[in-house]
Amino acid sequence: MPMTSNEGEQRPPPSSEKTTQTPKPAGLAGQKPGNRRVRVERTRSEYFRYTPSGALEARPKAHEELGTTGRITQAARRVLFGRPLASAEEIGERLSKKKALAIFSSDAISSSAYATEEILRALLLGGIGLAALNLALPVSISIALLLGVVAISYRQVVVAYPNGGGSYSVSKANLGRLASLIAASALLIDYVLTVAVSISSASEQIVSAVPALGPWQVGIAVAVVVLITLANLRGVREAGNIFAIPTYLFVGTALLMIGLGAWQILVQGDGSAYPTLKDNAVDFAGLAMVLLAMRAFASGAVALTGTEAIATGVPSFQPPESRNAATTLAVMAVLLGTLFVGITFLASGFGVVPNEVDTVLSQVAGHVFGLDSIGFYLFLTFAAVILMLAANTSFSAFPRLAAVLAADNFMPRRFAYRGDRLAFTAGIVVLGALAIILIVIFGGDTHALIPLYAVGVFIDFTISQTGMIRHWLRERPPGYRRRLTVNAVGAVITFLVAVDVTVVKAPSSLLVLLLIPVLVGVMRFIHHEYDTAAEELEVDRSRVYGPPTKKSRVIIPVPALSRAVIRTVQFGRTISDDVQAVHITVDAEAAEQLRADWEHVLPDVPLVVIETPYRSLVLPFLHYLDVMAPTPENTITVVVLPEYVPRHWWDNILHNQKAKRIRGALIGRPNTVVADVPYGADRVGNELDQKSDVPPANGQAAPTDQHKEEHKRRFGWRR
Amino acid sequence: MPTEPSGEPVRRAVLSLNGGPTDALVVECGCKLARADKSELVAVYVVEVDWSHDLDDELEEQREVASRALDLAEGMAERADVPLSSQLLQARDVGAALVDEAVALEADAIVMGLPYKVRFGGDFALGETVPYVFKNAPCRVFVVREPVASSAAREEHMKGI
Repeated sequence: MPMTSNEGEQRPPPSSEKTTQTPKPAGLAGQKPGNRRVRVERTRSEYFRYTPSGALEARPKAHEELGTTGRITQAARRVLFGRPLASAEEIGERLSKKKALAIFSSDAISSSAYATEEILRALLLGGIGLAALNLALPVSISIALLLGVVAISYRQVVVAYPNGGGSYSVSKANLGRLASLIAASALLIDYVLTVAVSISSASEQIVSAVPALGPWQVGIAVAVVVLITLANLRGVREAGNIFAIPTYLFVGTALLMIGLGAWQILVQGDGSAYPTLKDNAVDFAGLAMVLLAMRAFASGAVALTGTEAIATGVPSFQPPESRNAATTLAVMAVLLGTLFVGITFLASGFGVVPNEVDTVLSQVAGHVFGLDSIGFYLFLTFAAVILMLAANTSFSAFPRLAAVLAADNFMPRRFAYRGDRLAFTAGIVVLGALAIILIVIFGGDTHALIPLYAVGVFIDFTISQTGMIRHWLRERPPGYRRRLTVNAVGAVITFLVAVDVTVVKAPSSLLVLLLIPVLVGVMRFIHHEYDTAAEELEVDRSRVYGPPTKKSRVIIPVPALSRAVIRTVQFGRTISDDVQAVHITVDAEAAEQLRADWEHVLPDVPLVVIETPYRSLVLPFLHYLDVMAPTPENTITVVVLPEYVPRHWWDNILHNQKAKRIRGALIGRPNTVVADVPYGADRVGNELDQKSDVPPANGQAAPTDQHKEEHKRRFGWRR
Repeated sequence: MPTEPSGEPVRRAVLSLNGGPTDALVVECGCKLARADKSELVAVYVVEVDWSHDLDDELEEQREVASRALDLAEGMAERADVPLSSQLLQARDVGAALVDEAVALEADAIVMGLPYKVRFGGDFALGETVPYVFKNAPCRVFVVREPVASSAAREEHMKGI
């Protein structure tokens, strides 16, 4: 494009076409004599472009930083996160089913790596020996059935509420605000815990493999959280690219292990069974057996965490969003169920018993692939990686949920804004920060964090299923009774599991139950604040607003006589004829000198000098405004502050401190507006003082009698 | 877009815009051409300068209209994922400037729009630019005529105003 003459220009041109489209004076000759043409440069088009609706669209160049520091920061951000993406590119950032499965399912699928062990350990605590482990397979099948119910329910949620938000959206529509906020709070807490637990667990795995890294366990966990945070800040699609391969490697090798193990047990007869109750000769009551099974069920139910993530993130899917999300959810449920029941079947088939040295998963892998074989190490490596990546599901779901909440004014609106890479930056950063805080507080100890985990998610499941019951009762579509039954059964079971998990994990789990109302309170407070502000700011659209009826007068606090001050005074004169300067000082002699200079340089502007024996500067100024110069009726006081534009970061410390304090003190003062007049060498807009009509210092310098009289008339005193 | 009869692919095409109803058709046609032949598109808007002005006078209103037309063309091409650059010219005669620019750019084709208009008496009005380009352009010339229906709708709209 022949617009080379403006290449490299950093500052956007002024809006006027007259100045932006200067034609090249030399015309170009045509083929025939007399045919000449002139090329017109369109420098504006580099920055702004008209849209079909007639609005101007800011182009990438209009988003470039102007200052050196800003440009360096921007370049660094591009290296770290990639080039900024336009909003129109959002559709390209959507996830295919394959990537979505990897991103949203890593939490749920990784659960299969440890859920079996949780069941076996819970059964061993029953005190009836190894015979209790026979319950593992039935318990895992029950959990898989519950998974089926929850998955079917969330498939219905995905279709009925395609805008995402999952349980929050369901309960908001069907159960009211309180229930929806409880669901949202429970989920938010669980997402933070998922990150903290999975990363702590991964860090422990690393340290157990390389014990020399022991002192750095927390540091490693924090570093991993930072890395995953950065990866997610690059955008959801890139995060999918990064995390998809490890997820599928784990799924592939786990399925291979289950297939090979089942062959070894069922066909080759390599398995060994646990002893039966009769073998143990233990008298065990039926009720106690049920309680033991329930305890194991509660422990194994952690496998269901992350199931709801897809329903939260429906808008992340490629169109048709709902159908793709529903398909992905079904595939995830089938995969999780297969892996979970399969691994439990292998553990039972090989008679694996949990111990303090080897995990159940590694024992199963050892049986199938052979200890110290390549398959064994590869599978365990993939398992460790998937455990680490389980955190990524939360990094996808938490920011989405926070964005939905922010759109409803229950979270700061910043959470709803997308960053350069179309990711919900605030949600990602806050999740990373909270997870790091938890990891540091708990010293990266998984066992200390686990009791807090999975409580919230079952509260969420219960609320979601109850909401769907109300949904079906209200909508009553064809075949609703079957769906209603599924949700009703699911609601009862998940409620029982929520109680079960809370009781089994008490007292730590109670902390979550305490946190939920706190979060609900905070969200209600935020909503109230936004509502109040909206009411205050609401425009009466039936009214026609005429020109202003109030006058303005300008007061300028003057620290000394400088070009910045003169510029400020000149600016003040452009908005009002009533301008006065106020100098607050501890040095009477210096003030006298300032007055002399002032009357010499700015004879038309009265200067009030206030001596402050107690050395306070801001309060005397405020009281001066209230007592000595109260705002006249129908007038607005404009306090204009000279502000030195910092060129270096240290300038912020060296300059403008008084101005900042005055500005802070004046915020909220009735009928008062504060304006800053920037001043800095080599900066834009210094022309006010340059074009000033101030008489030169060596000219007819002395203030006229008329000026002095005016000053006396208005103030009646000199100091 | 068929490249017959010459069979030669179009490497660079000049799209003639005038801020009228055919601009969208011209860009659409250009985009199809570009996709088929991987051509480079140059949108050209010629502001006609009458003899009461110097050739390089700053004709703000006309330039504003031209800028909008070129902006919209760039936006359309961007959405179609086709590279398009734009050129704003001032000349005494639109047809001559178009041909000269196409020659200067070594373009293989010029794509022009033609609104459906009839003269008083019912004869189809071809205007002056299209015949000039037909006669003088050394490259291929594609003319996209506006559908009669949209022309009629526009006429009705104008009557309403």
